[in-house]
Amino acid sequence: MEVARNRADAELLESLRTGKNVDQAIRNLYKYHFDSLGWYVMNNNGSRQDAEDIFQDVVVTFIDLVQKNKFRGESSVKTFLFSLNRYAWLNELKRRGRALAREEKFERMQDRTTEDVSSVMAGRESSAGILQLVEQLGETCKKILLLFYYEEYSMKQILEHMHYENEQVVRNKKYKCIKQLEQMIEQNPTLKQTLKNLLHG
Amino acid sequence: MDNSTQNNDEFELAREAVRQYGLRKRVEEVHREMMSELKTPVRTMTPSKKVLRYSMSVAAGIILLVGAYMIYNFFTLSPDKVYASRYQAFEISTVRSNSTEDAIVKAFREKNYPEVVRIHSSGADSSISATFLAAMSNLELSNLNEAILQLEEVVGKNRNLEHPVFRDEAEYYLALSYIKNRDYDLAIPILEKIKDDPIHIYQEKVDAKLIRKIKMLKWR
Repeated sequence: MEVARNRADAELLESLRTGKNVDQAIRNLYKYHFDSLGWYVMNNNGSRQDAEDIFQDVVVTFIDLVQKNKFRGESSVKTFLFSLNRYAWLNELKRRGRALAREEKFERMQDRTTEDVSSVMAGRESSAGILQLVEQLGETCKKILLLFYYEEYSMKQILEHMHYENEQVVRNKKYKCIKQLEQMIEQNPTLKQTLKNLLHG
Repeated sequence: MDNSTQNNDEFELAREAVRQYGLRKRVEEVHREMMSELKTPVRTMTPSKKVLRYSMSVAAGIILLVGAYMIYNFFTLSPDKVYASRYQAFEISTVRSNSTEDAIVKAFREKNYPEVVRIHSSGADSSISATFLAAMSNLELSNLNEAILQLEEVVGKNRNLEHPVFRDEAEYYLALSYIKNRDYDLAIPILEKIKDDPIHIYQEKVDAKLIRKIKMLKWR
């Protein structure tokens, strides 16, 4: 059972799960956690830009985990974010071949009170490729799929946004778009594996 | 794996791709907004800010120490402490002598204070200087009330004299005696008079700090 450490955490998690005031919840994540998490990156061979990029990835990962009910709430949001941030930054340093002995030692010393983020982070490294894939769909397909599968709009609502003749036309267009995306994923085994990791990992 | 399951998996992966794309775009948008809001470097300080912060810390520390020192002084201040810090045994060198005075002066010079008090009490010498020496002896013998009465007498008798005798000395020791006796309201006007009188021989011994202390004692 999830235990929210405090009211602020509970409200944040509620917003992310229900989709109400998500933008404000994201703003609060930046407002209350960027400073300390960014400080960690900048004090471990990172630049300001590194700190920003890593934090953005951390926020995406965190929201995704919360929305998939994979954040068990065994630690506070702050502690969990810090673990994600540390994991992401050390991975980035490794990728750059600049991991220092001190940092590696730090990585090995997993804090037992925090959730083991390595399992939830596994396979997320190449998620940036997903952006490129969806971009390749073209503006119309991208918009229809986003409105339907991400914003969870009804066909009627999409019709108001897209100015198609009727809902059936939208439905047909959406079907074609998703099929096109399925084919593109099928043609890219690495990305397919990443998506599997994100979906089931 | 049959076709329908495979199709369903492909569909789920495609939907996940859209979800991931949507989420990342949404965060990107807020990220841009927040990064321009949080422009200031993360926990980095310019040297001038560091100096300012350090100076403020030092100033705050000093204020704290001064405050603590003042509070400590306020609560540890006592009339006996003030009296002891300002009291100095009176020296006899300036006393003129005659045959009767010689006995009381001799006894005082020898610090035979009970004898000084006895001679004065016997009525053999009721001069202002003898009364003053008796008062000083009573102070040495811790007969505070006797000393106060005699010093008040010396101060009173001196009021109309063209050439006062032990007037300044009597005023100073009377003020100190009042402090020891916790008669702060009586001590303060005398101390203020001494402080404001440039030719008073005890002016240097009475400063604003002493008067402030007596006022603090009065407030407590």
